[in-house]
Amino acid sequence: MTALFGISPLLLLVAAGLAIMVVDAFSKDRGGLALVTSVSLFAAAAVAGSMLWTGDVPPAPELVTQYLAVDRLGLFFDVVICVGAGLSTLLAGGYLREHELERGEFYVLLIFTAFGAMVLARAVDLLSIFLGLETMSLGAYALVAYRRTSARAVEGAVKYFLLGSFAAAILLFGSALLYGATAHTDLAGIRDSIAGGTANPALTILALVMIVVGLAFKVGAVPFHMWVPDSYEGAPTPVTTFMSVAVKAAAVAVLVRVLVGAFGDPASMGLYTGWTPVVVLLSIASMVYGNLAAIAQSSVKRMLAYSSIAHAGYILVGLAAVHQVGSYAVSALLYYVAAYTVSNVLAFGSLILMGSKDREAVSYDDLAGAGHRHPVAAFPFVIGVLSLLGMPPTAGFFGKYYVFSAAVQAGGPMIWLAVLGVLASAVGAYYYLKVIVYLFMREPEEDQPIAVPMRSAYVGFALVIAGYYVVKMGVTPGRFLDWASSAASSFVG
Amino acid sequence: MSIGILTWLLLVPAASAVILLALPRSWERTIRGFAVGAMLVELVLSLRLLFANYSEAGYRLVEQVSWIESFGISYKVGVDGLSLWLVILTTLLSPIALYASWGSITTRIKEYAFSFLLLELGMLGAFVALDLFLFYVFWELMLVPMYLIIGVWGGKDRVYAAVKFFLYTMVGSLLMLVAILYVVSSYHELAGGYTFDLEKLSSLVLPATQQYLLFSAFALAFAIKVPMFPFHTWLPDAHVQAPTGGSVILAAVLLKLGIYGFIRFAMPLFPVASQTIGPVLAALGVVGIIYGAYTAWVQRDLKKLIAYSSVSHMGFILLGLFAMNRNGISGAILQMINHGVSTGALFLLVGVIYERRHSRMLDDFGGLAKVMPWYATFFVIITMSSIGLPSTNGFIGEFMILAGSFFSRGAVGFGSGWLVMTLLAATGVIFAAVYMLHAVLRMFWGKVVHAENESLPDLNRREVLSLLPLVALVFWIGLYPKFFLDKMDPAVDAFVEDFTARYEAGRNTAAPRLAEIEALRAERDAGKLALAADRSAGVGP
Repeated sequence: MTALFGISPLLLLVAAGLAIMVVDAFSKDRGGLALVTSVSLFAAAAVAGSMLWTGDVPPAPELVTQYLAVDRLGLFFDVVICVGAGLSTLLAGGYLREHELERGEFYVLLIFTAFGAMVLARAVDLLSIFLGLETMSLGAYALVAYRRTSARAVEGAVKYFLLGSFAAAILLFGSALLYGATAHTDLAGIRDSIAGGTANPALTILALVMIVVGLAFKVGAVPFHMWVPDSYEGAPTPVTTFMSVAVKAAAVAVLVRVLVGAFGDPASMGLYTGWTPVVVLLSIASMVYGNLAAIAQSSVKRMLAYSSIAHAGYILVGLAAVHQVGSYAVSALLYYVAAYTVSNVLAFGSLILMGSKDREAVSYDDLAGAGHRHPVAAFPFVIGVLSLLGMPPTAGFFGKYYVFSAAVQAGGPMIWLAVLGVLASAVGAYYYLKVIVYLFMREPEEDQPIAVPMRSAYVGFALVIAGYYVVKMGVTPGRFLDWASSAASSFVG
Repeated sequence: MSIGILTWLLLVPAASAVILLALPRSWERTIRGFAVGAMLVELVLSLRLLFANYSEAGYRLVEQVSWIESFGISYKVGVDGLSLWLVILTTLLSPIALYASWGSITTRIKEYAFSFLLLELGMLGAFVALDLFLFYVFWELMLVPMYLIIGVWGGKDRVYAAVKFFLYTMVGSLLMLVAILYVVSSYHELAGGYTFDLEKLSSLVLPATQQYLLFSAFALAFAIKVPMFPFHTWLPDAHVQAPTGGSVILAAVLLKLGIYGFIRFAMPLFPVASQTIGPVLAALGVVGIIYGAYTAWVQRDLKKLIAYSSVSHMGFILLGLFAMNRNGISGAILQMINHGVSTGALFLLVGVIYERRHSRMLDDFGGLAKVMPWYATFFVIITMSSIGLPSTNGFIGEFMILAGSFFSRGAVGFGSGWLVMTLLAATGVIFAAVYMLHAVLRMFWGKVVHAENESLPDLNRREVLSLLPLVALVFWIGLYPKFFLDKMDPAVDAFVEDFTARYEAGRNTAAPRLAEIEALRAERDAGKLALAADRSAGVGP
């Protein structure tokens, strides 16, 4: 039993998911489910976090490690995904009840999707990558379509499902080619085979392209982002939160594992490390397009969807710098993902808090003057958007500082990537500020329905936690930096 | 660890802001009194800085605590002759601006006071930070409260003005962040460790080609803040829309941070680029002097007039700064204080009349000297200071700047350029008299043409109390500037001295290297000796 301690967060989640399923089948009371689910997720995060804290990862049998990495990088993503999912669950606890959508399967779906995300983030074999990806995606499709009477939700879910299936198929095809080229399905074997020169170059490169396309889709990077705005907008807001933090984090994790783990050693790889320019292009496209398109939105939810595309671009800046600065860049990327998770939960959570039954706050107009009517509800919103904007002293600022410093240290043309990145985030300032403008500097029109904030201990609690970490990771980032760099150095030297 | 005075200066506004949040909204009088009281405590605390010994260059009252160890980021603060008066200017103007605001700000008092305290924290932090990261944090921290002050309590087009202010400043400062990161990473390559400590980073000698780009990034951030022509367009919008208190702080302190950034960071770190690009910036400053003055002349809105006069005055300061000699730089620093005092007071005076008449149009006034004699008196005194009449502070500053610029021999081949710039700048002094006296004439002299103006009340106690300290400073600096100059001269001398050494070193460096300032001075002196030896031997230039 102790042999499996290294993947205990995953096992814990599966057990919790099954238990909740059973409880849901026999009990009529849905009230406590959100609490139980979030406690399970936070417990999993705590287990992973304690292992990360002590720094020694218990060894696991080879049966496990050939499919799932048991390393600090995996633990780091466990923490990020579980915290993101746990906070989203808390938001759902308030949101679903307020909008009378509460059903037991929601929490079960969410917990298994989080499990899929954690598998994906630890996957070191093409098979487990696909398994993790599908476990995560199937749950996510269903969650997007959760409000099944809403045409928007269905549209978003269908788009997500169709495009997601395409992406998964492309990824699978790429995996098959890679297996054909190298006769290996495990990433380490693939790396050795390529380094040893036994792999078929044309097939390998084709496979690499397909895998990058498939994963870029899940990350939500331009030009594979088409599903993001619609499904983010159609999904219930807690699901949007969950997707933008946990699903994205898992996709970033596996992208790092594949690109850096299997194709990452410039000394022996030569041609195959040529993915850096591709990542740079994806990053530029995401930062520029995401920020520009976000300006034009009139719905805050949609704006945050485009902003999540832009943030995918910033994350990829860190990945693009890996070749030159190694674990520093991975650590920057990890920190950014963690900072983005708490900031985004804060922003989406505040948006949830701003609305109540039949008066959900979605557009900027809904927020007009709300800062004066309900300062307590507006305050976390301000902190959230300032962090997304990258204002010191918040987590978002430090994350941006970290990835851009990785790019600057990489030197050469990467410095211009950093310049482009900061200019793009200055563009971003415009639409994030618009939230503050509407909250504090506008009054609602005469005949406009006024959004009334809901009262929910769940949402309030989630905002307090997220807000605390947004400030803490900005003011005293020391410990989180240590975790990120220890996780990164467990993976790249 | 004992807490030093500079940390107290930062703690008091931060703690007061938090306490303020806990006070109930309905305790309006308490909130007003508490916020101003906290700022007065700040003022008293900051006066203790004067007791340090500034007879030699170097930082005083330095405190350093490691903040984020793995990046070499530390909380390091200190004060020297260059920043001393700016800190005191901030602590003096903040309570005045807030106190004066209580006449016109009647809604959301708690948030207003909170923003002001946060703003004071940001400004003071930026003036005392000796760590580039810390500086950047404070620099950005100022943005949000000022944005709120303009956007929530401002005039009709306040949102446009606030967003414009925010975005302009943000673009500049983000590019500066990349430049900071580049400097730090160059230092890391040579020294093997990360640091954001300004004193350590100053030992980095970068080749000229790298300095140009880096200096440009810093200069853009600071030039927008100053604001230097052609980056000044946010200023009139921001000033016109901001409430009186916001305008006072904006003009009196925020703009100074741009100039301060040049002195403290951009010029010492990138001396070759400053020496080469500096004259261009000085020339843009001169363009600003003339353009600002001319535009001020045609304004009908008094507040806009003063906003453009700020562009003009800040042009003078840029000119003095890049003259790169003792007179020029001392004059620039002194003129920063003067401008803070006189323009701060002018905005207060505009606020006074706006509160009474809800108009700032010159056409709506006339003959006010009869109706409001005390108001007229204060206005004329401050006007004299603003146009630089002898015996007021403005005269000393402008004279020193013009003298500095006249004798400047900056980059090779630009010698006569300085002469031309000095002449043009001097015409700006005349222009200033034209537009300010023009405004005074139309507001105060002649007959009372508008019936509404006949019964306007004169200055009340609150207004007199906020203006008196500024008027006192006008004459104090005007009649006895030595008190102020003595504290900054050693720092300025050392600054010029070190700058030339760094300049020589940077010019002769092909690859980045590390060298302490003493070594650079020795190098420069050795270079001079060799040159002299060559000359006496009849070789070389």
